[in-house]
Amino acid sequence: MGLRGFIAKRLVYMLILIWAVITINFLIFSMLPGNPMEAYVAGLKKLDEERYNELKKHFGLDKPLHEQYILSLRNMLTFNLGISFRSGTQVSDEIFQRRLPNTLLLMGVSTVTSIIVGMLIGVIVAYKRGSLLDTGMVTVSLATYSVPIFFIGWIIIFIFAIQLGWFPTGGTVPPTWGRLPPTNIIETITGRLSHIILPAFTLFLFGFGGWILLTRACILETITEDYVLTARAKGLKERTILYKHVLKNAALPLVTNVALSFAFMVSGAIITETLFSYDGMGLLTWKALTPPALPVLQSIFYILALCVIFANFIADLLYGVLDPRVKYG
Amino acid sequence: MGEKMATRKEKMGFAFKRFRGFWKQFKRSKRGVTGVGIVVFFTCLAIFAPLISPYEAIDPQVGREKYPYFGPVTGRKIAGSLCKPTWYKYVPWVPRGQVKLEERFYNLIIKEYGLEFQLFGREGEENATDIVLRLTKRVATVESITAMFPNGTSRDLLPDEWKLDPMRPREISIVKRYPDGTRFTVTYLTGTDVVENIEIVPDHTFTSSESFDYWTWQTTHPELVSVNYNSEKGYHNDGCIEISYNPTGTLGEKANVTLSRRFEYPYMEPPRSFFIHYSICVEGSPDSEVIMNIMFYKETETEPELFPLIAIPKQPGPYSHDGITSIRPEVIQNVKCSPATDRIFATAGNYTFSVQIIFPEEKNVKVYLDNLDCVIYGNAFGILGTDNAEPFPRDLFSSIVYGTRVSLIVGVLSALFSTLIGLFLGLVSGYVGGIVDEGIMRFADLLLVLPTLPLFIVLIVALQQVAGFVSIWNIIIIITFFGWMSFARSVRSMVLSLRERAFVEAAKAAGAGKLHIINRHILPNVFALVYVTLATSVPGAIILEASLSWLGLGDPRVPSWGKILYDFNASGTAVAMGLTEYWFWIFPACICIALLATAFILMGYALDEILNPRLRERR
Repeated sequence: MGLRGFIAKRLVYMLILIWAVITINFLIFSMLPGNPMEAYVAGLKKLDEERYNELKKHFGLDKPLHEQYILSLRNMLTFNLGISFRSGTQVSDEIFQRRLPNTLLLMGVSTVTSIIVGMLIGVIVAYKRGSLLDTGMVTVSLATYSVPIFFIGWIIIFIFAIQLGWFPTGGTVPPTWGRLPPTNIIETITGRLSHIILPAFTLFLFGFGGWILLTRACILETITEDYVLTARAKGLKERTILYKHVLKNAALPLVTNVALSFAFMVSGAIITETLFSYDGMGLLTWKALTPPALPVLQSIFYILALCVIFANFIADLLYGVLDPRVKYG
Repeated sequence: MGEKMATRKEKMGFAFKRFRGFWKQFKRSKRGVTGVGIVVFFTCLAIFAPLISPYEAIDPQVGREKYPYFGPVTGRKIAGSLCKPTWYKYVPWVPRGQVKLEERFYNLIIKEYGLEFQLFGREGEENATDIVLRLTKRVATVESITAMFPNGTSRDLLPDEWKLDPMRPREISIVKRYPDGTRFTVTYLTGTDVVENIEIVPDHTFTSSESFDYWTWQTTHPELVSVNYNSEKGYHNDGCIEISYNPTGTLGEKANVTLSRRFEYPYMEPPRSFFIHYSICVEGSPDSEVIMNIMFYKETETEPELFPLIAIPKQPGPYSHDGITSIRPEVIQNVKCSPATDRIFATAGNYTFSVQIIFPEEKNVKVYLDNLDCVIYGNAFGILGTDNAEPFPRDLFSSIVYGTRVSLIVGVLSALFSTLIGLFLGLVSGYVGGIVDEGIMRFADLLLVLPTLPLFIVLIVALQQVAGFVSIWNIIIIITFFGWMSFARSVRSMVLSLRERAFVEAAKAAGAGKLHIINRHILPNVFALVYVTLATSVPGAIILEASLSWLGLGDPRVPSWGKILYDFNASGTAVAMGLTEYWFWIFPACICIALLATAFILMGYALDEILNPRLRERR
């Protein structure tokens, strides 16, 4: 089987995962004893008759279970996520046009920086294993690993936003943009940047400790291999050995972890966004919690899961392309 | 059989020896010992929480059932809301004494029904609704009031352009009308202090005769009025103060008796609020009414300053209960200031709390006083202050101590369960193989891919819809169910390699069954991994539980660290000022979560170093 077959297989696997996510969503909301969705929609009846009828139709609550299931499959696949109770707009519009791009930007920036910085430090630390730097960095990353992200965020707000006053405490864009939108590109970039730096830094700190530990472990795994000894015997420079021979081989398990860490970062992003009132999926989650809006939460989970599944798909492909030892199939 | 097998005692001896050897190795790892130390510390906190924490964590009240006015089981609150820690008084940079403050206001001219109103609002706040400049602190002296006009010019107001009513020392009324959008900056001196609660009455239910000795009493007619301790007539028959009035002939004037208790108010700043509770019962003929006066006196060099709080007539009948709180101005008929405490405790000094009974009719009367309490609530309380729960603010230190229990239970139990599930599924998947293996691993892959927190949120909110609330057991089950996958994977790969080893082959050749091989040959080899995973998966569970509670999805009935943080989030003070001013509300809980999680990680790391010798050699 060639590369095309490999991609096809991964693609099928991805589709199965998407189907599983939709099914899980359906199971949680319709099969849990007491049927949460029905309870939720029935709770709405007193408040808003029109809304109640609309939701009932959207979820097909008057139809038998298997038809409900097929309806939910169709709704989810076509991103027909219903109409928002608060704004009256399509939930999918709100998510795709505003929330998701913001979240992806935030997560992209912080994930990429945390991977690069974490891997660099990890390599250095693994090379100087047993030194003071090593012990220090490992302890630091163990600590960042175990410090809850809201604590990191609060400390960062406290230091950089309140004490030093360098950046705003929260928001996505400067509040004045509502009245007078930015006129030139530089203003747009600086305005957005000043609001994204602190949450991105928080997420970065949340993620990079794990990368240090992982890189260190992977490098230690390969550094004692025979070919490294051979390289050394050949008289290659330490730097060449480290980056060309060791890191290249150690990087493979790291690639798979990129996708998994994406799922991990999603959890962090939800809390970070709430903390910084950053207008993304996380803030939407927080807003959908009081009072609980089940359909919105369901959509958020579905979209975020889709993103993670897609990231996994890309990582799988990358892995296949990067590692010549992977036999397609 | 007994001869060859080791006895139970010997077995325990072996186990003990093994443990000693292990501990000897473990002691060498500084990280591990630190971790164990922290975990032991928190475990002690959790076990001895009722002894360590002075108050209940969820709904703390003082003297339940002792304040009948509020209800049969209710007590009084332990402190005002949002108190700072009491040790602030030892911190040198916390301002105490006289300080200068500056506050800014804007004005707004509103035209309604042909009339013009000038309203004032605090700068940065949404609406202007006050007709006066309402300052946050009581004014000692106004230094200056500067008006900045919309055209950019500014000037200080002259003393006759504003007025400060001595009865309302927080409100400055502006006499003249100024153009719309004028900004005022008020600079004033005020007292600021760390005010602790003062309990004026030591034993307010009068359970013993000593409690009566704290009180002094005086009367206009000592020959007719007597005040005693009565051990039987109190509310719930537990003792009270008995005042009897036996007039002889016609007196021509009203007799009265005053019970008082002197106390010192040592602070520069008025308290947040005060609270008075009393139960009174009058015995006598139907028309023998008495009048009850409650007041505070302040001693001054000349005449004492009097602050009457309430004056009510009481007819004969059974016990009636009443309370005066300074946050309910309608009860405090004679205290004209809001908040009332501003005037009463404006400065430090010696005060007297007194209850006066006046006998307008010359009839034989007996008056019983019980549950007579007076508490002054300051702005500082406990080791870590209080939160903003209403009507009973919580002691944050107690919340943190009790929160240890939740974090430890959730963390350890979900780690234990998920490790066990992972171990079991990993063993099955690795050893049985085939379709079972494929099924389990694909399922694990699926669960690994799902973003955890959004899924948990969805699950918990769905549970909330059905059951009304989520218990911590629900949370443990959910965390367990989504926590076993990566461990199952590593157990499986380990089993796959162990399965091919020579000793397993040998056991198979000797005719050992599958169960025997798993039990005797594979499990012991996997177990090192189990300990490490146990330790390293606790922090994840702790943080996950804290994050869920942080989002308000925890069990509302148990005090967890995350719940403290959620209360902070939901209080609305969370932004900017909240962090600096109320750091003691969130940072201790955050530090506890981080410490406990770090401790388990350190322990896991140390275990890994010992039990996974390969790593040790490399280092």
